[in-house]
This record gives sequence, C-alpha cells and structure tokens, in this order.
Amino acid sequence: MPSGCCWNKEIISPDECRFLRPGDEELLFNRKKRFLTRCLECPDFLEELRHLNGGSNGLPAFFFYAIEEVLALRAEIHRLTQQAADRTREIRFLHEVSQILQTSVSLDEVLSMALTAITAGKGFGLNRAILLLVDKDRQTLKGHIAVGPRNREEAGRIWHEIESHDYSLQDMGQILREQKMAVEKEKFRDLLAMISVPMSHADHLFIATLNEQRTRHIRNLWEEPGIECRQAEALGVGELLLVPLVSKNRRIGLLLADNIINGRPITAEDVQSLETFALPVAFAIERASLYERLQEELEKITEANNRLREQQELIVRMEKMALVGKIASNISHTIRNPLTIIGGFARSLLKHTPPDDAKRCHIESIIRESRRLEEVLQEVLSYSESLHPTLDWWDVNQLITGVFAGMRDDLEMNRITYRFDLEPNLPKAKLDFKKIAYCLRALITNAIEAMPSGGEIVARSSLHDERIHIALTDNGPGMSEETIRTVTAPFFSTKDSGSGLGLSLCKRILDEHGALLDIASELGRGTTFTIKLIIAREDNHGSLADR
Amino acid sequence: MARLLIVDDERDIRHLYAAELEDEGYEVESAGSGAEAVEKLNHQHFDLVVLDIQMKGESGLQLLQKIVKERTDLPVILCTAFSCYKEDFSSWLADGYVVKSSDLSELKGEIARVLKKKLS
Repeated sequence: MPSGCCWNKEIISPDECRFLRPGDEELLFNRKKRFLTRCLECPDFLEELRHLNGGSNGLPAFFFYAIEEVLALRAEIHRLTQQAADRTREIRFLHEVSQILQTSVSLDEVLSMALTAITAGKGFGLNRAILLLVDKDRQTLKGHIAVGPRNREEAGRIWHEIESHDYSLQDMGQILREQKMAVEKEKFRDLLAMISVPMSHADHLFIATLNEQRTRHIRNLWEEPGIECRQAEALGVGELLLVPLVSKNRRIGLLLADNIINGRPITAEDVQSLETFALPVAFAIERASLYERLQEELEKITEANNRLREQQELIVRMEKMALVGKIASNISHTIRNPLTIIGGFARSLLKHTPPDDAKRCHIESIIRESRRLEEVLQEVLSYSESLHPTLDWWDVNQLITGVFAGMRDDLEMNRITYRFDLEPNLPKAKLDFKKIAYCLRALITNAIEAMPSGGEIVARSSLHDERIHIALTDNGPGMSEETIRTVTAPFFSTKDSGSGLGLSLCKRILDEHGALLDIASELGRGTTFTIKLIIAREDNHGSLADR
Repeated sequence: MARLLIVDDERDIRHLYAAELEDEGYEVESAGSGAEAVEKLNHQHFDLVVLDIQMKGESGLQLLQKIVKERTDLPVILCTAFSCYKEDFSSWLADGYVVKSSDLSELKGEIARVLKKKLS
C-alpha cells in the first residue's frame, strides 16, 4: 500500500487529503466521518484497497461490493432529497399562487397570476403560456391572452430583469397585470385571433381536447391533423402542451404551454404539475368571470332600479297634479254654479231696479264680489289649461307626419303603405292641433276602410295663395257622386269605429276653422280628400280663439 | 221669435237663464233632465238648445249625440261649469261652448251668433 494515503491515520493535516474542502476542518480529527464521507470515493484509497491482499476472493473484493452499494444508496438518497425539495418548493409555490387565486375575484388578477406561475422560472418555468377562453355566448373558444417572450433577445432581456430584481411570484403577477397585460395582449393580438376556434368545430384539436377534458402533450404539432396549418405556423412550435380548463364539468377554456425559446423538452413532471394547477385556475377564472358578470348585472339592476325610482317619483308627482286638477275641477263645479246664480240674479235684479233706488249699491256689491270670485276661479283653472294650449301656430307638415306616425300600427295592420310629398317652405297655420289631427285621422281611417285588401295613401301638402292644402290620396275603389254628397252628412257612415263621428264631425271642425273639405274621386282609381286651410292671421280668427 | 230650450239640473240656473233670455226677447222653455228634454223636444218646436253637461242621469254629451243624430238642424250650445270638456271630441259636435258665468253676455252673444248662422 502506498504510504501517501491518509485513510488509516487518526489525525491528518489539511495538505494530506486533496479532497477536503473549506469547512471540512472537523474531518481532520474525526477518522470515521472522514472515511465515510471522503475516503469511500477517494481514488487513492480505492487503489490501496485493490492492492490489499490482492485476488478476487479476498476481503477487499467483497468490501468493494459494499462500497458500491453505499455509494448507490447515497446517490439515491440524494436524488430523493432533491426531489422532496423540489416538491416542497412546488407545493409552497402552488400554495402561494392558489392563495391569490382563491381570494381574487378580478379576472385580470387571476389570469396574470396563472400565466406568471406557468412562465416564471420560480414557477413551472415554461417559455410561453397562451390562454383561450370560451366566450360569453359559448360560441367561440377565443384566444384571450398570451405571455412570454417572442424571441431569444426579448427572453434574455426579461430573464435578466427578473433575476436582477428577485421579484416574488406575487410581485411578478402584479407587474404583469398593471404594466404588461395590455402590451402582451397587443403583442400577441394576431396570434390570439388566429388560434380562436368556433366551439362547433368538434374535430379541431383545441375543441376536442376541451370536450374530452383530457390533457394532451403534442410532440410534433406539424403532424397533428386536428389543427389548421396556418394555426400551427402561427404557434411556431413542434412540442405543445394542451391543458383543458374545466370547472364542475363546465368548459372554461384551454391552456397552451410550450418552450418556444429554449426548446427544452416538456417533461412528464411539467405535464403533471400543469394538470394539477389547471384545476384551481379554471375554478378561479370561472369565479372571477361570474363575479364580473354579477357586477355587470348588478350595475344593470341598479340602473333599472334608479330608473324605476325616478318613474315612481314622476308618477307620484303626476298623481298629485292630477289630484290637484281634479280637486280644482270639482271646486270649480261646486263654486261656479252657485256663483253664477248669485251673480246672475244680482245682475238681473240691478237691471230692474230704478236708478235712484238706495238698494242698488248693495246689489252692485254682490255683483262685484261674485265677479271677483269668478275671476279667481278662472285664474286657477286657466293656469292648468295653459300648460297644454292646442290652438296655436303649427307646422302643417309636422302635423301630417305626426298623425301618420301615430297611426303606423293601424296602417301596417291593414297592409297600407304611405308616402309623403310635402312642400318644404310652408308658413305656419293657426289651428287647433287636436281638432285638425282628429280630422286627418278620420280621413285616413276612411281611406283604410275603403281599401280592405291594402293599398297606398299619399299625403301631400302645398301652398295656394292664401291657403295651405293637405291632400290625402288613396288608390281604393273610389266613390260615386251620390256617396260623396252624403259622406259628410251627419252620421252617414255605418262603420263608426270608436272615433265614431267620422267625416261629419270632420266637416264641422273644418267649418269652424274656416277651412274647406274637397273630395275628388274616380271609380276604380281612388279618392283624394283635400283640406284647404286658411293661413290664419290673428285678426280673422278671433272667434276660433275663443272656443 | 226664437224658441230656446234650457237643459240644466240646477233649478235656479234654469230660472236665471229663463228670466235673462226672456228679457232678450226669446221664448224660453226649460228641462231639469235629459229625459225631460227629450220629451219636450219630441212634442215642441225649438230653434236652439242650451245644454248643461254634468247632470244627474243622462249627461249633456249623451243628449247632444242624440240631438245631433236625430235633429241635425237643431243647434246646441253647451253651457257648463267645466272648461275641460272642450278637450272631449264629443263636445265638438256642439255649435257653441260657453263656460258658466254670472255675466250672461257671452252666452247671449253665442246664442245670437248660432241663430244667425242657422238662418243664413
């Protein structure tokens, strides 16, 4: 045995063993420990052992078996310890992530955290993660967001940044959400659009993976029949991991992960870890999106509620006003009759009292006071009436289109189309909007009834000297002269439908307005009713204004 | 001389109108209800009816429709404590609309106007 080896010495000096490392000072004095930790792997010792008692059946030969076994066991222990450490780290990491996932109701936060966890070195350390989500209508599996470097340069920059800052996972998630989410979305916009797939494409790799709820580890995407060439090109990788995101059998989305930059093969551990991770992610995404929907619904309901409250307030106000109107009207009736009688008889009395009669001044007092009361009454009542004046200067074209708009359902129901041919520069006419609108409605109703199987009405307005003409032409069967003559006689029509009084009332209203009604009809061709309104001036319309 | 029918369920109003309108030279008959008015219209000749709207029993507007339907040549002036019936299109059938007042000059003017229109 060479004298250089130190294995059998009780105490050695540091320069005697070349396998000692800094911190191994204890081994200089502890022979057993030194032997077990260093000598068993020391080539010098093994060489000496080989020479000891040489031959294959000597004790040293068996001793070699033991050493081999010890070393193998030691390596196994080391491997297992390493694995246990890895698992512990993974569990700690999953715990950290899942705490965020469990407590967050923000979809962005959940997504940032999940994607960070997959791509960060401290997490699963994959190069790129892409998330597809089933959209609200459940029509499309839509590329939602992707995270990862696009190329080696960018990857280098990002990894450097991460290393130099030593961010925690949570910090990285937050950075992604607050600073990079929009950038990443924009960066991958084309890719995300390209890989979106309609849910109805059951044969597509993505949809099939989601429907079968089974993770797929694709080793060569180019050979996959279930994906379009352009999609595979856009993804630009051969090896791809697809993990379905499912929560309570509800399909949420699909997670794609790959090592596009460094090309490291995806391991069975990667697959297993991501599969485990997918469950809380799916759950968190669903919860967050449900929460978002809930928020949206809440906003809608709050808004509806506000509108309802406003309307209720309006109704209450209107009811109050209606009540006031009703009370005023009742008071009017109960007060006006006796006032009329008191004041009326007083006037009558005064008329028959001689001028020198001392009682005259008493009677005059009664008249004066009753008139005052009547004036107060009139003021109160006319206030509410003044809110809706109907006799005013009106735009005739507006009146025509307004009436047709109001009767649109009636016209449609009777399959009657209508068109306008309106003179744009008409002066305004002073008329009672309600009454003239009633006339137009009566004429239109007449035309509708004349065309039971549908037809067309043309409404024209035009200016002729001092009159505005409103002409309604139908393409119905027309009327005989006899019918035309009787049509405006009171209660000619037997077809009084609700509005009841028909053309006779119409005629009366037009008379009152100083307007003319002209009827021209041709059997088999149709009828034209023309209302000829005076362009009223204040002075020639006094009597109407009083009505 | 024109013959008028006053229809009002208030007795004093009927008396007042009768007195005042007789002073104007009209021959005046009155009725306290729609039914009474119909009865009189069926048996007597009138040139004009002055009609209250809110009455117990048949309302003035119902009576108005009857008159317009059966007696197309007989003008009617509505004389009421309410101005709101102006909005009711069935009141538009009447030839005149007067809101009651202790000053009867408006009613008198309206009667004269409608009678004149009828004659022309």
